[in-house]
Amino acid sequence: MLRTLPLRLARMVLSLVGITVVTFLMMDLAPGNRAELAVAGGAHDLGAPPRAGSLDLLREQWGLVDPETQRPYSVWERYGHWLARASRLDFAGPGEDPAAFRRRILDALPVTLLLNAVSLGVALLVAVPLGTWLGLRAGSAVDRAASGAMFFVWGVPEFVVATLLLLAFAGGWGEALLPGRGLQSDAIHAMSGVERALDMAAHLVLPVTSLAIAPAILMTRFLRDSVAKAAQSEFVRALRGWGLPESFVRQRVRANGLSPLVTLCGVLLPGLVSGSIVVENVFSLPGLGSLAFRAAMDQEYPMVMALTLLVGVSTLLGTLLSDLLHRAIDPRVELR
Amino acid sequence: MRRVARVWAWMLLVAALFAPLLANDVPLVARVDGQLRVPALASYVGAAWEASGPRDDRVQTWREWWAELPATGGPGADWAVMPPWPYGPLMERDLANRNAGPSLAHPLGTDDVGRDLLSRMLWGASRALLVGAGAVIVAVAIGLPLGAVAGYAGGGFDAAVTLLIEVFLCFPALFLVLAIAAFMSSSLLAVVLVLGAVSWPSFARLVRGEFLSLREREFVLAARGLGVPGWRVVTRHMLPQVGGLLRAQAALLFAAAVVAEATLAFLGLGAGESWGAILARSREPAIDGAWHGWLFPSLAVASTVWCLHALAAPRPLVSLGATPTARPRPDR
Repeated sequence: MLRTLPLRLARMVLSLVGITVVTFLMMDLAPGNRAELAVAGGAHDLGAPPRAGSLDLLREQWGLVDPETQRPYSVWERYGHWLARASRLDFAGPGEDPAAFRRRILDALPVTLLLNAVSLGVALLVAVPLGTWLGLRAGSAVDRAASGAMFFVWGVPEFVVATLLLLAFAGGWGEALLPGRGLQSDAIHAMSGVERALDMAAHLVLPVTSLAIAPAILMTRFLRDSVAKAAQSEFVRALRGWGLPESFVRQRVRANGLSPLVTLCGVLLPGLVSGSIVVENVFSLPGLGSLAFRAAMDQEYPMVMALTLLVGVSTLLGTLLSDLLHRAIDPRVELR
Repeated sequence: MRRVARVWAWMLLVAALFAPLLANDVPLVARVDGQLRVPALASYVGAAWEASGPRDDRVQTWREWWAELPATGGPGADWAVMPPWPYGPLMERDLANRNAGPSLAHPLGTDDVGRDLLSRMLWGASRALLVGAGAVIVAVAIGLPLGAVAGYAGGGFDAAVTLLIEVFLCFPALFLVLAIAAFMSSSLLAVVLVLGAVSWPSFARLVRGEFLSLREREFVLAARGLGVPGWRVVTRHMLPQVGGLLRAQAALLFAAAVVAEATLAFLGLGAGESWGAILARSREPAIDGAWHGWLFPSLAVASTVWCLHALAAPRPLVSLGATPTARPRPDR
């Protein structure tokens, strides 16, 4: 492990560079000339032709030309400047306070983290017992029925599930059993600590349910197959041959089938982020998904770039972490 | 199960391909002032209704022309053959009849401005087909050559492609699509290109992995030993071996693209005829009991995913034996 870890880290650094390049190019090349767009848009709003100097000023502000000589920067110079600012965690656009910009992200981050952590936790709580239970009964009638049911639920998109839950439980049809908007009630200030926690939990039920279904099914299927495979392997026959009790054998099977699950958790991250966009939108949660959606709608390039980079880097770290964890749990695994 | 899926897939395909001929509010064939016209076919090239309709100072659109037709009468007069379902995507609002439940006149009911839902669903199918097929074509066009060459050649090129795949897999597809679709227009071409561009890595990874192991197989070694050129080994000897796998992955990708497109439209970043957009608009009416508005588009998206996943399943959907052969791939 100590021999391969530096290699793995070197690859990760390369990937990190790749992520920044992709993020930058995507935003820098896609929209064409931003300064001209901004000036044209402003002139359109005012109903007057753009003033002579305004285009040059905007080009300077957006960092498209050298302020001294008015020479246009090349793509790689722009990338270098952006990277230099990004390394100081300064992503704000021209005329925006970097601290306020960071504040907006940091305010939204906990909501999304909470939502995703709880969803992943719920998915694990459902998938681990269910998956191992089904894996030990692979091929039985129960297993087949569960496979069929999971197939059908898996095909229903997140936005359909979220809409359905909202209609069914948040006052669409009949009584509102659970809140369907936001993270807190309006009367939060009049509540005690316990009441606040309960209030937040109630607000989380529907979003978490819609977000947890897909990973729960994915993990259940994965575990079912991995446990069933472990149950077929040689060592199980050996343990049985030694006359060890069935409960002991099953425990070994479970342990062997469970360990690959760690790697799956890393793979799930991008899907959870995509799901957050839908779920936060439907349930009006003030998280990163809503922030990204609004930024995209308002064509706020700096925010979209910052969030894309944040998501890419966290996925990369998540994958590395889950690989290391897997290695720690199962010494037979080799890090590539 | 597979048979049901196949039949449903064919029905969706026919509905999607012939939507402009099946459900349209302009005639299939019409005679106007002695000239034969085919205005419904014009829908395929996206011609505006008014532009393809007869123009004189009395009538502006096909609809008005159609309404005035009986009055003209007489032998050799103008006539028109309407499509089997005479409602189209640009049909007029019928506010008196909005959110009406299924009836004989409108088998799937009407939407929140009184438009016929059946015809909107048919047009939604053609949108889903265009986006799904387009995304798969783009993803295959990028992912297949990259993965094949990387797996066959190995070395530095392989390392570069692997790194590129790894980088692209770090970005959630919907996030990228949302970001780019918001900056470019949400035109069909943009959505297709972006969806294809974010889904090629899964293709490339699959092909690369298969080619890595195929490269060491005897028949490939034999072909190379006989002096068959490399491109021919790849296209004629190795590619046919991964055909089934590619088809399955293409079906999964197709389903993912349909869902992504519907999700974008649901969020308000897509064309109005998408199934997702129909569902988004029917949320408010659904509270007042208009169940058909959300049920049918939801079922359309879900059933498309079901049938594509069933067709992609490498083994019978419900495995009978106790030994699972394939680990499920987390599809993205």
